[in-house]
Amino acid sequence: MATFDALANGFANALSLANLGWALAGVTLGTAVGVLPGIGPALTVAVLLPVTFTLDPISAFIMFGGIYYGAMYGGSTTSILLNTPGETASVATAIDGYAMAQQGRGAAALTTAAIGSFVAGTLATLALTLFAPPLAAVALRFGPAEYFALTVVAFTTVAVLLGASVVRGLFSLFLGLALGLVGIDQLTGEARFSFGIPQLLDGIDVVILVIGLFAVGETLYQVWRHEEVQPVTLHDFTGMSRDEWRRSWKPWLRGTAIGFPLGVLPCGGSVVPTFLSYMTEKRLSDDPDRFGHGAIEGVAGPEAANNAAAAGVLVPLLTLGLPSSATAAVLLTAFQQYGLQPGPLLFSSRPDLVWTLIASLYIGNLMLLVLNLPLAGVWARVLLVPRPLLFGGILVLASLGAYSLNRSMLDLVLLYAVGAIGCGMRVYDIPLVPAVLGLVLGPMSEQQFRRAVAISEGDLTVFMTRPISAVLLMLAAAILVGPHLLRRWARPAWAGQ
Amino acid sequence: MWPIVGVAACLAAAPNPAEAQAAYEHLRIVAPAAPGGGWDQTARVMQQALQQTGLVRTASVENVPGAAGTIGLARFIGAERGRGDTILVSGLIMLGGIVTHRSPVTLRDVTPIARLTGEYEVIVVPAASPFRSLDDFIRVLRARPESISWGGGSAGGSDQILAGLIAEAAGVSPARINYIAFSGGGESLSAIVGGQVSVGVNGLAELAAQIDAGTVRVLGISSAERLPGLNAPTFREQGLDVVFENWRSVVAPPGISAADRDQLTRVLDAMVQSPAWREALTRYRWLDRYVSGDGFARFSEAEEARVQGILRKLGTQGDPAGILASAGRYPLFVLVGLAVFAAGTLAANIRLAKNSVGPSKAGPYVQPVFRAEWKPIAFVAAGVTLHVALAERAGFVLASAALFWLTARAFDERHPLRDALFALAVSVGAYLLFARVLDLSLPAGILARWL
Repeated sequence: MATFDALANGFANALSLANLGWALAGVTLGTAVGVLPGIGPALTVAVLLPVTFTLDPISAFIMFGGIYYGAMYGGSTTSILLNTPGETASVATAIDGYAMAQQGRGAAALTTAAIGSFVAGTLATLALTLFAPPLAAVALRFGPAEYFALTVVAFTTVAVLLGASVVRGLFSLFLGLALGLVGIDQLTGEARFSFGIPQLLDGIDVVILVIGLFAVGETLYQVWRHEEVQPVTLHDFTGMSRDEWRRSWKPWLRGTAIGFPLGVLPCGGSVVPTFLSYMTEKRLSDDPDRFGHGAIEGVAGPEAANNAAAAGVLVPLLTLGLPSSATAAVLLTAFQQYGLQPGPLLFSSRPDLVWTLIASLYIGNLMLLVLNLPLAGVWARVLLVPRPLLFGGILVLASLGAYSLNRSMLDLVLLYAVGAIGCGMRVYDIPLVPAVLGLVLGPMSEQQFRRAVAISEGDLTVFMTRPISAVLLMLAAAILVGPHLLRRWARPAWAGQ
Repeated sequence: MWPIVGVAACLAAAPNPAEAQAAYEHLRIVAPAAPGGGWDQTARVMQQALQQTGLVRTASVENVPGAAGTIGLARFIGAERGRGDTILVSGLIMLGGIVTHRSPVTLRDVTPIARLTGEYEVIVVPAASPFRSLDDFIRVLRARPESISWGGGSAGGSDQILAGLIAEAAGVSPARINYIAFSGGGESLSAIVGGQVSVGVNGLAELAAQIDAGTVRVLGISSAERLPGLNAPTFREQGLDVVFENWRSVVAPPGISAADRDQLTRVLDAMVQSPAWREALTRYRWLDRYVSGDGFARFSEAEEARVQGILRKLGTQGDPAGILASAGRYPLFVLVGLAVFAAGTLAANIRLAKNSVGPSKAGPYVQPVFRAEWKPIAFVAAGVTLHVALAERAGFVLASAALFWLTARAFDERHPLRDALFALAVSVGAYLLFARVLDLSLPAGILARWL
């Protein structure tokens, strides 16, 4: 009960007209900046942080809540409408979201993303309110062995992304893995495949790969085809049909259930939850063939997972003081700005601020829904912009985003090179998404494996003797082999009928 | 507390900062790390302090992250030579990075200005650990060095340097320690607090909240004396002669004039007395280690020798866990896999071209056959080449406008004027948005005077 009293106090602090205004400002700014490719939530919060310095702590926290959730949401808009995800969190959304937009159902895709984000954000914030400390304790039991097992589970999602041909999908995956080799090996500090170019020491930024493959690759492909494309007709600007509601609500809930716990893990990231959600939806669907061609479940699930994971990140941050993502690291700086040290004692030392922040997360979430539902139809009209201007604008924004990552011209050259590869992959029908997974998961998988083996002094059995790791590895095996076994068992039954 | 510090600042600073004429219209501070880390924090605190005191009218922070700051350092030396209004945040970790990443440029290639802050490091164990004291730990370390896993920040960073210094002081060869490098604060902290490693090495500031809450126990701190208000024994009082600080400093580009150097020093002299800076020191638990001029240059050289010495001894780690934990196997696997599947894809495409039966064979969703045209491709290629060539010379606005215009023409050549207008509008708008609103600096180029 004490929790609810504290939360009620938080709401009492947060719910003034001025503070609602700050929440709205935060959500609007966060969404607007989050829409730009390459400017992910971390940079958005970092860039907007100085705006809040002049405010009193409560108003500032309310604005953070808005900026944080707003930036998470903003990325999905361009991903759906233009097939240009700006960061990894919205790559899974692009697969079916863009297909929907092509069919004139962009507004419906945006609506399911907005409502899914709201549902997931609210449920996840509720879970944060109620279960933060015990969840954080479980998260700490994840060591290198467990993270390695988790990446193995995540790799199984590649199986549903392969597309028409297995060999092409695996080629794409290994391309991503190979790109992931470039840069300093974290464990030894030695440079690998950097060819003496200092800018390559930190590896190839995944944002470059994402923007290059999708935004630049799509532009080049459209130029290459050079055919008169029928302008997209928008069936309706109002949003989702009854059928789409029916098909969306379960993915929202499942996405939340997948995203939140993975967000709590200090090294979970946003790729694993979104793709696991995508795979779950495809596997559970009656008609998996629709996926990749505009299945609304493929937008609803990952978007919910993404936002639930964003709320999950706050669990280790608030309860343990562990910044588990770049965005969380920036939020940590924001806390310190007000003389707060997030950590095991924060809830008891400054309950007023913590609960105000949590209350403002609920408010920010609601604001986001209020802001984005009416805007879905407006955003969808972006597709009515003449194609020369649209793609010209996409290239300019993509190059700006890529350059501003590290202020490096090499990144620009890489961006266009990756774009050319992305165009070639489209021409030869090679799926793009496995490459992104390879680049994100490859280094993580390798480093965690080697860490685990180094800690155990070379003993490989750690992966099976540690219970969480063993369960995860068995789960991965079940995902890979399970459907085949089920089919084999089921066949005699059909044959008998 | 506040007014006292304020008065002290007014008395101590030679030119009263509150009334001083701004020494710089604009000062650029380069943080060679991503937002959120120690160097970024230092840069942003400086930005605020300099602006609040009026020493500088406006200050901007630019992040050039990567490779323990050596990427930022190389770029700083290359691009800012001779500029008196640009400074780079640097420090001990950069010295480590220079050795580990075999950087072609070092801190001797820049103009030293001042050391600003220091942070102590601690060695901790989770509350449930069998190690009750440093002695327990050292005993096991001496008996079987490889069985102790040390968790800390990136390879070659301050945490690994301290681990090496401690091993050496305890008479264990630094090459035999089993150091597990984690990236970033959160990852190493959660491994330490979660007991995934035997001991953790980290900055005191990062671990302070955990120490206060009792989730970790301090085995030793790298300060010379015990710190007030912290129940932590020093290494020295426990018989290990190790005193160590992770310090941060500020350097200027090579080739600046003596007058520029003096002015930067004066501005920093005044900045470190300002209430905003003093307050930040307590907030982030930074030690005031301000030394400017030649004193800092001498210190920096001594530290360089010390860091190089210990990192050489840590050397190429003899992979205590054997071949599976080494860096060599995985790349081979990936490259072989890539070659196999590239060949497979090629073969599949050749087969498809031979039988070219069209879309129906490979599934319903294969793209329809179309004829590629080369002229539009040439337009875009020209746009991209111009953009890369012009961006840093002529400025982002012109380069982007050219890219936009040529891309638009690739799609449709009928509206050159409309496209040109949009190209300029979008480029100027995007530039203003990034550079003015978001404060992410872009090369302004030849239009700098009008933007």
